[in-house]
Amino acid sequence: MSIFSFFRSAPRPSAVQAKERLQIVMAHERAGRTGPDYLPMLQQELLAVIAKYIDIDQNKVEVKLDRGGDCSTLELNIELPAREQLKSAMAAVKQAKPEPKAASGEGEDGKLAANGPLTNGGVKKRH
Amino acid sequence: MSKIIVMTSGKGGVGKTTSSAAFATGLALRGFKTVVIDFDVGLRNLDLVMGCERRVVFDFINVINGEAKLSQALIKDKRIDNLYILPTSQTRDKDALTREGVERVLNDLSKEFDYILCDSPAGIERGALMSLYFADHAIIVTNPEVSSVRDSDRILGVLNSRSRRAEQGLEPVSQQLLLTRYDPERVEKGEMLKVDDVLEILAIPLLGVIPESQAVLRASNVGMPVILDEASNAGQAYTDAVGRFLGEEIEHRFVNPQKKGLFSRLLRRSA
Repeated sequence: MSIFSFFRSAPRPSAVQAKERLQIVMAHERAGRTGPDYLPMLQQELLAVIAKYIDIDQNKVEVKLDRGGDCSTLELNIELPAREQLKSAMAAVKQAKPEPKAASGEGEDGKLAANGPLTNGGVKKRH
Repeated sequence: MSKIIVMTSGKGGVGKTTSSAAFATGLALRGFKTVVIDFDVGLRNLDLVMGCERRVVFDFINVINGEAKLSQALIKDKRIDNLYILPTSQTRDKDALTREGVERVLNDLSKEFDYILCDSPAGIERGALMSLYFADHAIIVTNPEVSSVRDSDRILGVLNSRSRRAEQGLEPVSQQLLLTRYDPERVEKGEMLKVDDVLEILAIPLLGVIPESQAVLRASNVGMPVILDEASNAGQAYTDAVGRFLGEEIEHRFVNPQKKGLFSRLLRRSA
């Protein structure tokens, strides 16, 4: 205790900081505990849907869930084959699965196919 | 039918073994036939804290493997009737704990004992999982400190999802908090989480608050459960906690700083 400490405003007690930090970190961990179990399933089913239309590399798919304060982001990163590969790939898919009902010509026009990877097919969700 | 209690925490060094020894002794002192089992395979210490380390011949793992009979491995406490210790192996590893083996030993013990107290190792791996799997009741040992509180929350999650009761959809494992190494003076200075803070965060009922006490080290030095040191705060706090566990209403002591007279203020160091 020095005489100067008399003039300083009292710092926030460390126990208060401990409590606040715990409450924040544990709110996230508890949410995570009940949450992300569906992610592997979600990934598989999304892949199944996309694979119906496009021949994608299973290893070039990334599913990520970020938890923020009041807003979480589900991020899907799917790398599509390059345009010229896509055409032949589409033909292959068409052969393998003749006449997929909802899949009219749209996919073939390359509407989905950007040059190179398509990124940030983001879905935002509020709690 | 006997009750199975697990003393667990997630984090190491918070007082699980000290509390297991004290609690088992307290239950036996109340006349219940009690056995306390060390689940910390490879790092056994309950025998030292209970003061029976020189009497270990066979252990829990020997019984699981059929190398010894249960009656050969159980050590009867020399001070208290009704109190038995089942030590674990110091040489094997946690893989020796099979679910079927543990279940068989617990079933055999439950024919004889009122309470089976499982002293969990730290962590959330095999040893800890096996110690809590069959539990009816969990005592969560926590220090008023961030890492201990977080780990306790984690172990509560494990109890609610991976215990037998959770897996079979039975009534959940009942859970109570034992807050150890509590220092009311540091709490008053704002340097330590309050009981109420920890209760608010973990949201489980409070079984007891054990004050930081020099008696705990003294007791383990001589191999005596601290509850037998009746003059100490810690010993009295454990006695109260056992009473509450048995359903008695006992007010919490040692939660506020003791008022000090001038004399003890002068002699503060010797307290």
